[in-house]
Amino acid sequence: MNIYINGTGCISPQETAQIGPLFATLREYDQVRLSTVDPDYKQWIDLKQIRRMSRVVKMGVGAANLSIEEAGITLPDAIITGTAYGCLDDTGVFLNKLVSQQEEMLTPTAFIQSTHNTVGGQIALLMGCNAYNNTFVHRGFSFEHSLLDAMMILEEGTAKHVLAGGLDEITNYSHQILSRFGIYKKTPVKTMALLNSPDAGTIAGEGAAFFTLSTEKGAHAAAELVGLHTIYKPLWEGEVIGEIVKFLEDHDCTLGDIDLLVTGRNGDIDQDEMYEEVAAALFPEHPEACFKHLCGEYPTAMAFGTWMANRMIAEQDVPAAAMFYGQPPAKLKNVLIYNHHQGTHHSMILLRAC
Amino acid sequence: MSDLKSQIVEQLNLQEVKPEDIGNDDPLFKTGLGLDSIDALELIVLLQQHYNIRIANPEQGPEIFHSIRTMAEFITAQQQKQQA
Repeated sequence: MNIYINGTGCISPQETAQIGPLFATLREYDQVRLSTVDPDYKQWIDLKQIRRMSRVVKMGVGAANLSIEEAGITLPDAIITGTAYGCLDDTGVFLNKLVSQQEEMLTPTAFIQSTHNTVGGQIALLMGCNAYNNTFVHRGFSFEHSLLDAMMILEEGTAKHVLAGGLDEITNYSHQILSRFGIYKKTPVKTMALLNSPDAGTIAGEGAAFFTLSTEKGAHAAAELVGLHTIYKPLWEGEVIGEIVKFLEDHDCTLGDIDLLVTGRNGDIDQDEMYEEVAAALFPEHPEACFKHLCGEYPTAMAFGTWMANRMIAEQDVPAAAMFYGQPPAKLKNVLIYNHHQGTHHSMILLRAC
Repeated sequence: MSDLKSQIVEQLNLQEVKPEDIGNDDPLFKTGLGLDSIDALELIVLLQQHYNIRIANPEQGPEIFHSIRTMAEFITAQQQKQQA
């Protein structure tokens, strides 16, 4: 069964909500924390409702709407969301008030808006969609599991159009806490210099990307979602390399069939070692593109990578800003996206031009 | 009443509404500001936080929260009761 990507929507630190060629207007940063470039959300959300929504909810609603608009549908048969952190900002507001007001006089809005499934719920409410609605909160696999659920639902035949996506936000608190873990660089680094950075740490990011998937090819479909595979805490590089080979075999694909490798290199010299090993063992002559220098590191960054790969297939072009190694291929048919989050959550997605 | 208007705009995060745009007798719910049931809960908390007033009888809600003027009158009456 073929699963087509009939529409996509993305809100990220790049101008991805704009119509036009991919990264035509590249946003270059010189900082360790990237924030989304927000479109005018009032085009999708009523003023009376927007006042209660935090950034991550608006991001999700915006990306979801862009996706179904491109797919040419008004109502999906299922809405599936993946988020590791959920609505962190409102969680912070609520918990702070809980402490400062000694558990009294707590306002309902922050509480209502603080759950992980608020985004999926708000998308459904605004669309008037009473169909299946699920949210996966599985750290670095949150987005992947939302896609997996979408694929299974489509294969079961219980839905025709499924809206699935991944999103996460950074807040001042979360950034401060994650910085203490040494995840981020100590000093600002330029966007285009990140991937050749000689030290540990990466840059923080955030964003939302949604995909309208269907077993019927839509007018704007450029690629099929051929396969998805996850590996949790591999023992060593060889395990990942073996799994990639098996994953490709399972989808009747050889290493030579891959036109472009898209990796989740993030400029952390320790974490990028895995990508080096995989590229050296399996794809030494293949062109490689990357995405985390453009969107930053976050648990559902793979959603941005998948969105970017789909756009590259649609445009049959790899923008210079995304190229990491080699020359852009003349044609883009099979694109393998390989990513890992914090060295524990490894995932791969195979897209094929249709 | 202008203080109350500012407090409502802030508490309910009424974007693009200025306190002076709210008429003293405009209905707060439905046709006027278009507030809803979640806002009603926020207004109850506002009265507690800013004026230390608790609404004992929930059935009074529609009457108290009809407009800025009815809210202000209720606050004044309650403050006078507290001082007596």
